[in-house]
Amino acid sequence: MDFFIQLFSDPVAFWQSHTLLVSQIGINSILASSMFVVLYSGQLSLAAPGFMAIGAYTSVLMDLNLHTPLAVDFAAGTALAGVVGALVGLPVLRLRGVFLAIATIGFIEALSLGVILNLPITGEGLGLRNIDADPVGGVYIVLISLAVAVFLLWRLTKGRLGYAWTAIRQDELAARSQGIDVARYKLIAFVISALLAGYAGAAESHLYFILDPNEYGVPRTVQVLTFAVLGGSGNVLGPVVGALFLTTFPFVFKQAGDYIGVVSGAVLIAIIIFRPQGIVGRGGFAVVRPRWWPHPQLRAPSTG
Amino acid sequence: MHAVDGVTLEVEKGSIQGLIGPNGAGKTTLVNVITGYVPFQAGKAWLEDDQLTGLPAHRIAGLGVARTFQNIRLFKDLSAVENVIVGMHSRRRDDTLAQLGTLPFFRRDQRARFNEAHRLMETAGLDPGEVGKRAAGTLPYGDQRRLEIARALALQPRLLILDEPAAGMNPSEKQGIRELIERLNKDGLTILLIDHDMQLVMGVCDRVAVLNFGRKIADGTPEQVSTNAAVIKAYLGTGSERQASSAPGATGVEAVAAEEAQAKAGSKPAAEPANSILDVHELSVSYGSVNAVRAASLRVAAGEVVALIGANGAGKTTILSALSGLIRPASGTAVFDGLDLTTAKASAIVRHGLVHVPEGREILGRQTVLENLELATWARRDRAAAATQIAAVMRRFPILGERRRMRAGTLSGGEAQMLAIARGLLGKPRLLLLDEPSLGLAPQMVDEVFAAIKEIHDDGTTILLVEQNALRALAIADRAYVLETGRILLTGSGDDLLHNPAVRRAYLGG
Repeated sequence: MDFFIQLFSDPVAFWQSHTLLVSQIGINSILASSMFVVLYSGQLSLAAPGFMAIGAYTSVLMDLNLHTPLAVDFAAGTALAGVVGALVGLPVLRLRGVFLAIATIGFIEALSLGVILNLPITGEGLGLRNIDADPVGGVYIVLISLAVAVFLLWRLTKGRLGYAWTAIRQDELAARSQGIDVARYKLIAFVISALLAGYAGAAESHLYFILDPNEYGVPRTVQVLTFAVLGGSGNVLGPVVGALFLTTFPFVFKQAGDYIGVVSGAVLIAIIIFRPQGIVGRGGFAVVRPRWWPHPQLRAPSTG
Repeated sequence: MHAVDGVTLEVEKGSIQGLIGPNGAGKTTLVNVITGYVPFQAGKAWLEDDQLTGLPAHRIAGLGVARTFQNIRLFKDLSAVENVIVGMHSRRRDDTLAQLGTLPFFRRDQRARFNEAHRLMETAGLDPGEVGKRAAGTLPYGDQRRLEIARALALQPRLLILDEPAAGMNPSEKQGIRELIERLNKDGLTILLIDHDMQLVMGVCDRVAVLNFGRKIADGTPEQVSTNAAVIKAYLGTGSERQASSAPGATGVEAVAAEEAQAKAGSKPAAEPANSILDVHELSVSYGSVNAVRAASLRVAAGEVVALIGANGAGKTTILSALSGLIRPASGTAVFDGLDLTTAKASAIVRHGLVHVPEGREILGRQTVLENLELATWARRDRAAAATQIAAVMRRFPILGERRRMRAGTLSGGEAQMLAIARGLLGKPRLLLLDEPSLGLAPQMVDEVFAAIKEIHDDGTTILLVEQNALRALAIADRAYVLETGRILLTGSGDDLLHNPAVRRAYLGG
């Protein structure tokens, strides 16, 4: 409760003491948006942390070794993530459902073991020290990029591309009969998702003085998937709301102490049961009554 | 297995071509090959001068071959208008970059697309003002069919393939679809129509081709096809020669044979029995907004073989599923030997002695024959008795004994059907429901399966048999019910119905 009291009674102090939290919400929102793009096109890809690592390491290494301007670092990290996304996407997008999920997890593991933990240039698993990080000022970059990313995605989902993605997500077979080149549009979604994750990685690396390789593993991918699904993956704002909700959760429920995991787990289960479409989604604020939920009234008498 | 084998089909520009055939004849497979969903193994296809062979489905659609699907494949969460807009994909300019800046001309395009979608929906007989904004999945069934046609029209097709557009519709909705097809054709659209409703196909088509077992057995005007002996045989089934030739509509009816059959008919009880083991009264079943079965009543007495016949989509399988507790009826009663089938659990119904052998066998392909049979006795406590019972069914079906160690998936269709029936027998049925035991089987295999059914009946098991192969079913049935679009049309002794012209009408619509 202290959290909300401070937020409303003294916004300036709140902003000063929670800048890093706001930045993290923004980063998580961009990541969730990256997950949104693949889910929106009907693919269960869990590769986000891999592309994030590419974005983060590329931009930090550029900064440390070449001393290029921040914008160039970010652009290089994002672009490399996109290129790797296209290369990985070409073979793995033939897979569907859990098979795609496992293949993308394989990609994360391969990247982590082969590059991040193994090469001298990436610190061999010790991470990198990013002396140029800007934990306070970075928040503006993050929030502006989030706004731009959400706007662009919103526009994309409204046009020919968005219709094609929705069609593929809902019925791939029927989409093909409408003349939609399913493989092509899936690859486009995958690459856009990689670009967003790469950018989020670059932006995040700018906030912390230490680049920790353990951030880019499977737990992160599960977290990002949860943001998108919980917030609602049918609407561009859903993943942002999901990231906002879950990132602030531990701060709101400080009293839970060590039991915070239990509380957030219970809330997650409740939301998935009563709002399967996510917090933001069709049906306004209506909640679903599961089939097994007791009926409020008796059965109407038979007329026969 | 050849699902489609050496079929040649020409659709004349501006015409309506029909494609018919019994269940499993390969009609949908042929469409799937033409539209690029199933690869060509041999043969070629052209659309005017464009070769379709080997192209992926989306390219074929882009060339102007639009299709609808037998089991409606709309984008359920998109609104009706949006579904039609998706259909415009292949002829729509790529506006991705324009949208990013929300440039004004994109908005103008978008409005034009909405207007065009509204026009197409009106063409298909939908009111865009009323249904346009609703999610496609929430529309009534008939409207979903029309919306699928509107979406196909959005492609501006050169050829429109309609796969069972009238399936599951009531007569007035069917009339509406018929008018729609005629109107589209009058506007110059070439149409390939696949349907089981003969009245519709024979009524609107310029030419009709008939498939059976993947081969084309007839092609011609509706009149030529509906009097073609091979077609009648394919539809009403392959009985013995006597029955086939004396069936209504067959060429060369032999007076003697008919007389003989009439005499035989008199010896069988035609009336409904007073004491029945199964009593179904006014049973109605609906799938969402589709009424699959409407107030059907039927009775089966202990020791009878009762056949339930009718064209595809008449509601036969639905009745069986309702009796075995797999789906719940909307209204009506069904009592089997004192057990209320409308409320009992499926497992309790089986324990009470009503066993359902489903359409399409549903055997476990990766398990061996023996494992399939053992699974059926899995819930038994008396292992020894179960083992003797398995030995007994293997004696009844020697082929299963020979193949006991083989994977069930490697069995032929007839053997698989034997296995499914054997598995059903292990449930110690007092009433056995058999759904389409002859589906997709070659004639010799049909003979063997029916011989087995007769033996089971001779051992004292009551049988309710659902069949498309009407002649075969009527030949072994004591009594039969004829279903048409969810209603019981006729009932009588097997031989009476064999000679009733209404039976042929239920199948061939003539």
